[in-house]
Amino acid sequence: MANDRLRALEEVENQIATILQCAGNIVLELSKDKHNASFLDRQLSQFTGSVNRVETELSSQIRYLTQVATGQPHEGSTYSARKDCQMALNRAEYTRVKLGELGRTCEVMLDPQP
Amino acid sequence: MASQRALPQSKESLLQNYNKRLKDDIRSILDNLTEIIKTAKVEDETQVSRATQAEQDHYEMHVRAANIVRAGESLMKLVSDLKQFLILNDFPSVNEAISLQNQQLRSLQEECDKKLTSLRDEIAIDLYELEEEYYSSRCESAPSSLCFADSMPPYGFCSGKATVSGTVRTCLCARPTGAGTVGRPRTGVTHLGQPRRAWRTQTDPPHRKLPPNTT
Repeated sequence: MANDRLRALEEVENQIATILQCAGNIVLELSKDKHNASFLDRQLSQFTGSVNRVETELSSQIRYLTQVATGQPHEGSTYSARKDCQMALNRAEYTRVKLGELGRTCEVMLDPQP
Repeated sequence: MASQRALPQSKESLLQNYNKRLKDDIRSILDNLTEIIKTAKVEDETQVSRATQAEQDHYEMHVRAANIVRAGESLMKLVSDLKQFLILNDFPSVNEAISLQNQQLRSLQEECDKKLTSLRDEIAIDLYELEEEYYSSRCESAPSSLCFADSMPPYGFCSGKATVSGTVRTCLCARPTGAGTVGRPRTGVTHLGQPRRAWRTQTDPPHRKLPPNTT
């Protein structure tokens, strides 16, 4: 859910870049002696569409935040679960080390050095 | 004297500010591009010379283009602020992310502990079999390898010790009897008149130490 909204905002950033790109292409085309009318129309329609999409998306995000935000800090945490998981991994690592030592001891006993 | 620090903006005023910035930037982009297109139109009649008019139009287009770029950058900053506000204040998604992370961590921990428990059970079974083999073989080895048969003390049992290392052999079945010791007195001969053997017989139950607690 959070990732969708963040991805939507990243898409808005791309749209803003498209807006500036289209504006630059329009000004560049107007600077020429002979203008390509179809190219100008395409760029202008793309520019207008991007501006509308940016405005709509950002307005909806601000409206959602107005409904959801409380102004208080969030006090949730994953610390306890993370700590328990870390302890379990430590137990497994310790077991692995001890079994390794046992294996080496057995190898030494079975094949003593002359 | 403690300096006054600015109070944090309330969320309503912050979101209103975001709305205002959005509308101002969009309006700036549209107005400036419209004016650039209008300025690009060539007019036959001008109040000043064509060169002056061209120079003025050139400068105006520069400024309006810079305004469009500034408005675009302001929109990018607004998007960045909205992302930050969303990450910090979107409680439904934060709660969902926290619960998902907790679930993943707990499942990993349970899987780890389950594997360790099964490993412990397997090792305990192997250890039990090894202990069976070790303790039974130690007590049923050949007598000459365990006891000093030549050095039989008068009280009828050997005093040597047998260890795993093989250097000093000690029979752990030896137990002192008589005055000041435990067990019933043992004489040098049995009740049938046979010399009492110091080493353990096949009929004697094997001594066995209790295995260490593995749990």
